[in-house]
Amino acid sequence: MASSPSWTRTYFRDVRNSGELLWNLTQREVRGKYKRTALGQLWSLANPIAAIIVYTFIFSVVFQVPAQVGDPSGLNNYALWLVCGLLPWMFFNATVTQGVRSIIDNANLVQKVYFPRLVLPVSLTGAALVNWTLEMAVLVIALAIVGSFVWPWLPLVVLFMVVLALFAAGFSMILSIANVYFRDMAYLITVILQFWFYLTPILYPITLVQAQSDKWGGLLGTPVTLEALYKLNPLEPYVAIFRDLLYHNTFPETGSIIAALAWAVGTFGLGLFYFVKTEKRLAELI
Amino acid sequence: MSNPAVVVDDVSKKFRLYHERNLSLKSAVMRGRTSRHDEFWALRNVSFDVEAGQTYGIIGSNGSGKSTLLKCLAKIYWPTSGAITYNGKMASLLEVGSGFHYELSGRENIFLNGSILGMSKKEIESKLDSIIEFSGVERFIDQPVKNYSSGMYVRLGFSVAIHVQPDILVVDEVLSVGDEEFQRKSFEKFLDLKREGKTIILVSHALDTVAEICDQVSWIEKGVLRQSGAAPKVVEAYRANASD
Repeated sequence: MASSPSWTRTYFRDVRNSGELLWNLTQREVRGKYKRTALGQLWSLANPIAAIIVYTFIFSVVFQVPAQVGDPSGLNNYALWLVCGLLPWMFFNATVTQGVRSIIDNANLVQKVYFPRLVLPVSLTGAALVNWTLEMAVLVIALAIVGSFVWPWLPLVVLFMVVLALFAAGFSMILSIANVYFRDMAYLITVILQFWFYLTPILYPITLVQAQSDKWGGLLGTPVTLEALYKLNPLEPYVAIFRDLLYHNTFPETGSIIAALAWAVGTFGLGLFYFVKTEKRLAELI
Repeated sequence: MSNPAVVVDDVSKKFRLYHERNLSLKSAVMRGRTSRHDEFWALRNVSFDVEAGQTYGIIGSNGSGKSTLLKCLAKIYWPTSGAITYNGKMASLLEVGSGFHYELSGRENIFLNGSILGMSKKEIESKLDSIIEFSGVERFIDQPVKNYSSGMYVRLGFSVAIHVQPDILVVDEVLSVGDEEFQRKSFEKFLDLKREGKTIILVSHALDTVAEICDQVSWIEKGVLRQSGAAPKVVEAYRANASD
């Protein structure tokens, strides 16, 4: 069925009018999750803390990744360097793994009430964003304590959190619909995320990849280098940007900024397009 | 004559009945993108108008397509062809307690459920006391709904739903929730809405209720509109047909 321009307009009006619904569903996710647990919201910090301890031990103590000195901040702390890249990843990971199921998990709602289904994956992004903000607040305090002059960079940090959230929301919008058509999408994506995590320079600096890339030159006789392939990863620019702002206290590279913005706008736009196109059929496909 | 509140114009709805639906990537890859299905028309060329302020009933036996029509009216399904136009704000009531979260309190769920049904926060706040009072769960309103009895749960859900106050209300057979006293109370509330001049579309098996409260009735049979007209006449015809 072709979507007429008037349907697109109606749909966007409905989406705009569902701000409060979005807020309420986000609150449902945030509040419902740790309700009636002794530590409450603090549990959301447990995962990152455990990851930091494990990774720091393995990569800093056992594998001895080269020291990461902040330029110009002068910091030299693998754990903090790691966290600056790990937290954005964990946010993305949480958004996508939950977002992919968002329509199927709310099947009863989708089949009983009309509202723009778009709010389902987006509300999960919102809930993950709340947790991430909490983690970032703790990180900023830790950075300030060890001497990172992070304060002037905070507005940019917040801005790029929103940009990454757009990318993550767009990505889970697309996956949530794909999962209606193919139910094993949710399992497939957890496997893909495993690869994705280790292929993103989060645990190790991209300089190690660059060194290897220079040694190899063009792969298999082509001019394509390993580094060029690495730069295709949409998350690479985000990790670089957050490290520049938080750890190095410097303005991110223009290339990273352009790539991050382009991925966010492109993916979110594609997600919107996909929803406008399939929204009407979702209830009967579930 | 006033404007029709809802115009159902030549609505048809086709479903695909899948023999082998590619619900996994593996089967899609193994068989290619084709999946085998038959077509099934749940509704064919259904048309009727609902005048503003009318209570309109839709009757039919199981599998007649009336639930499909209801879901089309509630904007959950979209007609394959034809169109439904609304003159005013439409809300549907197909289930009570949609989207309730078990761990959240009754009060929190009122706001959640209310916004799912299309109420603004301000609207909910102004009606909060009335919603709580009507549900009769005052004492437990700050308890998580997982501790509610099933009766309390549906009463709270119904109470939120009945306070939505749209111009057009599309209702499934949800009138019969709770104990006898609550059923009587909800029926009263329903008549209040009717008296206030709301347009109500009711899909029901309860022929006596339909004959009693509806002005106009449409009878759907095998996806086709058999008869539309004054409630007693259509219900009579339907009964006569059913007893044959």
